[in-house]
Amino acid sequence: MMLMLRRLRAVSPFQVVLITLFTGLALFMSLPIVFIFNHAFKPQNELFLFPPRFFVRHPTLHNFETLFLHASNATVPFTRYLFNSLIVVSLTLISVVVVSTMAAYVLAKYEFHFKQLIMSLITLSLMFAPETVSIPRYLVINGIGLNNTYLGHILPSLASPVAVFMLVGFISQIPRDLMEAARIDGAGHFGIFVRMILPLSVPAIATISILTFQGVWGDVETSTLFMQKETMRTLAFYVNSLLSGLQNNVAGQNMAAAAGLLIFIPNLIIFLLFQRRVLETMVHSGIK
Amino acid sequence: MGSISFNHVFKRYKGESRPAVNDFHLTIEEGEFLVLVGPSGCGKSTTLRMLAGLEEISSGELYLDGRFINYVSPKDRDIAMVFQNYALYPNLSVFENIALGLKLRKTAKHEIESRVKRVASILEISHLLERKPSQLSGGQKQRVALGRAIAREPQVFLMDEPLSNLDAKLRAQTRAELIKMQSDLKRTTVYVTHDQVEAMTMGTRIVVMKDGVIQQVAEPRKLYDEPANVFVAGFIGSPQMNFLNGTIEKNEEEYYFSNKRMKLLLPEAFGRRFEQARKTVRSVILGVRPEHVILKPGSSDEVNTVTGLVHMTEATGADSYVYVQLGSYLLIARTNPEQIYATGDVVSVAFMMNKIHFFDESTEELIGSDEA
Repeated sequence: MMLMLRRLRAVSPFQVVLITLFTGLALFMSLPIVFIFNHAFKPQNELFLFPPRFFVRHPTLHNFETLFLHASNATVPFTRYLFNSLIVVSLTLISVVVVSTMAAYVLAKYEFHFKQLIMSLITLSLMFAPETVSIPRYLVINGIGLNNTYLGHILPSLASPVAVFMLVGFISQIPRDLMEAARIDGAGHFGIFVRMILPLSVPAIATISILTFQGVWGDVETSTLFMQKETMRTLAFYVNSLLSGLQNNVAGQNMAAAAGLLIFIPNLIIFLLFQRRVLETMVHSGIK
Repeated sequence: MGSISFNHVFKRYKGESRPAVNDFHLTIEEGEFLVLVGPSGCGKSTTLRMLAGLEEISSGELYLDGRFINYVSPKDRDIAMVFQNYALYPNLSVFENIALGLKLRKTAKHEIESRVKRVASILEISHLLERKPSQLSGGQKQRVALGRAIAREPQVFLMDEPLSNLDAKLRAQTRAELIKMQSDLKRTTVYVTHDQVEAMTMGTRIVVMKDGVIQQVAEPRKLYDEPANVFVAGFIGSPQMNFLNGTIEKNEEEYYFSNKRMKLLLPEAFGRRFEQARKTVRSVILGVRPEHVILKPGSSDEVNTVTGLVHMTEATGADSYVYVQLGSYLLIARTNPEQIYATGDVVSVAFMMNKIHFFDESTEELIGSDEA
């Protein structure tokens, strides 16, 4: 008790204001998540209430029942979408991490011709809205004949300028001495990469993993544009299709609410999982 | 085992007109403890890094045991290096840090185990083997870094200011341990520092560098007693040597140093040196170390004595340093702490005439030495 009081006394008025402000901001930022959770359990009449309410009055599992009923009656089973999503997400995640870390290591730590040009191109490609490259991307995918293949899902997101850009920033902070010590100890370029750079970049890798996961898991565009076969489309597409297009808009609302929660949960899990790792590695990195 | 030979080595960085290392030509004997010393940016670290293979050599040749190693990669040079900030691998435990070099060289597992343990016990870090570098103090990190170098049993140790991140007490202690370790292991060691005390206490030979150029290579004592030029004279020794400008004049058979404030009759030995240098009258710089300046209270009319005013005093405990104003010069003298001088006191100043040095004012080189 005494300790708590002493701690409280150590907080200056400015800090009080700051803490209050940020707590408020954090609560505000969490509202969509609160909404998703509540929305999924709302009965039909509450879903269409106007003005809409944040919190559910009479929670029900009816939405999930409808969703699973609908899914089990569809031509393509729900599990197929799930399987596609899992395959695409895991392969993309692994390959993005492998390709981006390797590229970033070389860009951050070695001197070679056209390095500046490559860095500028990467920065430049960060500035494009994805929509602007939809058509060229379609032409490329179609031209190579990747329609209706998993590669068609994976390849477009494989080259991730955001990931490379972030990792270059992170890896260039790893002291040169460490690499030199490893070189003298007998490690080659690849040895340094695997033994030093990868383990030390875990916080950055965790961050880009979160970003990549969220991007790919929620991506509808690829399924819409490049996948004409229903069996090659992903979960995100399926959930999206409940609301738009073929389905009855009103009847679809409750399923969409439940599906929205289900598709959001992996995001949350991945985030919590990696976020803990991010903090952990930052505390223990002890480079200096 | 472990002799190194630099043959007119240069290092030029792109876009810089002046070479970072300029004509470094030196042979390092087997088992020698060679110290490279100089102010920052003098090229000492670059030289060490070229020897380690971390920096390319622009021109010249480098030999290790007679083997041409300009293009040999660092891992194949059989050297180990201790870095200024230790460069411990933060993701590995102390044991793994020390073992990595052996592991990468495909040493047998039991051999690695026994070597790491032996090194750890020598350095008294056996109880730390499971820890991560972030859980160690500065001194412990320093030992692990040393252990990593020793465990490899290389032919040559390279050390780049390994003590500069330690506090004063730990630095003195580690310095002593390093000296002992080197004499036990008898491995060639090249040690870079900007600290002249480290250089003087550790090196069997010292290389003083400035602007990429070797100024002098000598044993510590000789470096102190016979500095080759004004730079070395000023760099080695603390407080630094006093310098006075003046001219040498010859009057019949006797030589005098004179300027506005004083006229000193020089011992005969200097006459011989000046004659060997073949110029009798010219501008010189007189150098005299604080411990070779003799102070007496009050003014005096004796020969070779000048009168000055005490500007300030610094007592370090064992010694007192008295700053004496001689015209435009501020002269430092080391005195017995028993003798108290106060600011403004009139003192007479004399030099131990056999301990003074003369440098050519234009070239700043020492004029004649006993050997010449």
